[in-house]
Amino acid sequence: MRAQTTIGGLACVALAATLAACAPGTAEPSSGGQSAPATVDFSSFKGKTLTYVYFTDGPDEKATRDAIAKFEQETGAKVNLQIVPFADLNTALQARLSGGNAPEVARVSDWHPFADEAVDFKQYFGSDYASEFSAGAAGTAQDAAGHMYAVPSDSTINGPFINVDAFKKAGVAVPTKWTWEELVTSAKKVAAANQMPYAVAIDKSGNRLSTVLSQFGTVMVGKDGTNALDKAKAAKALTFFTDLVKSNASPKDFWLGSGSKYSGANEIFLAKQVPVYLSGPWQVGAFAESAKFTWAAVPNPCEERCGGFPGGKFMVAFKNSKDPVLGAAFVQWMNRAENQTEIDKTAFWLPTRKDLTEKGFDYPTHDADMKVFVSQIRETPEDTWPAGFDPAFTNSAKALIAETDKVVAGQQDVATAVDNVSAEIDKAIQGAK
Amino acid sequence: MTAASAPVRERPPRGRVHRGRVNTRRLAPYLFLLPNMLIFAVFTIWPALNGFNLSFYDSSNGRTFKPVGTGNYSAILSDEEFWAVVRHTLVYTVGFVLISTVLAMALALMINAQRRGRGAISAAYFLPIVISPVVVGIVWRAAFDRERGMVNQGLSAVGLGEPGWLVEPSLAMVAIIVVGTWIHLGFYAMILMSGLQSIDGSLYEAARIDGTTTWQAIRLITMPLLRPTLMVVVILATIAGFQSFDFIFTLTGGGPVSATTLMVQYIYENGFSYPIEYGLASAAAVILFVVVFMVTFANYVLGRRSDSI
Repeated sequence: MRAQTTIGGLACVALAATLAACAPGTAEPSSGGQSAPATVDFSSFKGKTLTYVYFTDGPDEKATRDAIAKFEQETGAKVNLQIVPFADLNTALQARLSGGNAPEVARVSDWHPFADEAVDFKQYFGSDYASEFSAGAAGTAQDAAGHMYAVPSDSTINGPFINVDAFKKAGVAVPTKWTWEELVTSAKKVAAANQMPYAVAIDKSGNRLSTVLSQFGTVMVGKDGTNALDKAKAAKALTFFTDLVKSNASPKDFWLGSGSKYSGANEIFLAKQVPVYLSGPWQVGAFAESAKFTWAAVPNPCEERCGGFPGGKFMVAFKNSKDPVLGAAFVQWMNRAENQTEIDKTAFWLPTRKDLTEKGFDYPTHDADMKVFVSQIRETPEDTWPAGFDPAFTNSAKALIAETDKVVAGQQDVATAVDNVSAEIDKAIQGAK
Repeated sequence: MTAASAPVRERPPRGRVHRGRVNTRRLAPYLFLLPNMLIFAVFTIWPALNGFNLSFYDSSNGRTFKPVGTGNYSAILSDEEFWAVVRHTLVYTVGFVLISTVLAMALALMINAQRRGRGAISAAYFLPIVISPVVVGIVWRAAFDRERGMVNQGLSAVGLGEPGWLVEPSLAMVAIIVVGTWIHLGFYAMILMSGLQSIDGSLYEAARIDGTTTWQAIRLITMPLLRPTLMVVVILATIAGFQSFDFIFTLTGGGPVSATTLMVQYIYENGFSYPIEYGLASAAAVILFVVVFMVTFANYVLGRRSDSI
């Protein structure tokens, strides 16, 4: 019996050792794939099929399907749209790439993890292709060597919404320009007049908190990928924000009660519990459907600087898919001026193309609100674009939220939190290399 | 007559003659087990071994892997967040095991003493274990809401204020222990009830004749005879405690300030929350396995030792 046990144990150890000696996946990034043709001939795609892995934020699905129908009609190609939940997107895509089943195209929030598998759009559409997009957006889609591994398909910019009915009832003018102090004073007055428990709500998100940091004059990661946090300015921003939450002017339970997860404060705003809500243009479609009061997008408060903080999504085409040329062509087609305009109008997206950002266009509904967000792009400082899309941003933003949580919970002071955030930014930058 | 001439029928050595029949009989149980074992091997053993293997690699995308030796283990063991998570997991598991076992015992005794409606009561208490833990988390999140939650409405009605169950770190830990206990209480009580029902009733009758009180009967008859079943419950609760995740994730999200982030959430966030760190997550999973195995084994050994005393 003992001998059997020993043999069994040895067999297990041997199996584990053998397995440990086998490297999973591949040790090196993949290479190869079909090389870019000299010119992309759209008439050659008739009868071909491409797979587009996509996640949806709501009204953009219809806009995307409409655009796909138009692409299919124009080219004779077929697009297989596969919608996956955002939470599963990265793991699902990586699993497909790992299994040699790359889709032609995917919509992603960060292209860096896929750079080694993505086509360089400059090879397909010329070295000037990036200049078709606004400087901020184009910069976020290229690596340090100038490879354009993604196309910025839609952008967002953070900004506040107000409950117009509540403002009117309180006799407070709808703002056209304000500071944070003026915003909080007005919001408290409106909340008191409408028996609302809170004055200002902000999504629990590193991206949204970065808006406050930027307005107070600092970002976490610099253009050159270094730690750009100005500790004095960060301390001022965090002191202001945490005081707001600790005093419950911004809902403390909401902030602390959602743990490490992203949490949107949209329900608090829709439930008329707060007159001012800092979020972004992706809420416009949802508010248009659900809000039972008059609301409006208004400019961001200015402190040392104005504007919001950018976000956005990208389209990538994979070089080891069945038809990377078709994939690249589809991405380029979807982001032509006329097609991006149509999608943006229905999806309430902000354009990424330089011509559309400069010229602008009218949205069929809620045009005034969307124009406010477009104006905020122009006011947003340039350094926020590389800061928001640097590979080190995600971990830095996580640290920013975690350390802010501790201040709100009374476990540490702001100075310690800022020191910790700075140390975590250094780690994130190191880890991203 | 010599021995040689006598037709002596020697008994064949076991397993030699009639080999076919004997081997078939011996093989039968294994053949019955085979489908289950295959599924177990493919979906449990193989992924577990792969996870062990992955713990020696660094991968941020699940496609490209760089061997790092024991680097992931060193990184985890020197991570302050990991040790905080270990502390939270231990506090939760100890609280959960103690409270759920004691309450399950009390519940089992209570239900066992019922003459009528025992089945219906058992089914009612058993129900939470069959509800999706994600749903349980969402429902209790609403119940624990500071202003509108059922719990605080009840407490404020009797003048106990409105505690921030999901906002104060220590109260959040209490909240997840309460919900964890609520989920498992009926299940553990059922196991204990089956143990109670296997105790010979004549022992209680004899004790009653000898004039024992109810408490003495529980202490001197029920508890010693129920010890093996109780040990099963303690081991199951310990494993469940260490593995708790889903309902906590929807109830508190691991907050506030990571106060209810337990080991499995730490593994999940490293492995599946962006940025992906498969190697770190696998190393943490291996550590969790070793800890659960050791604690369970210690429980088992202590249980057997106390049986033999």
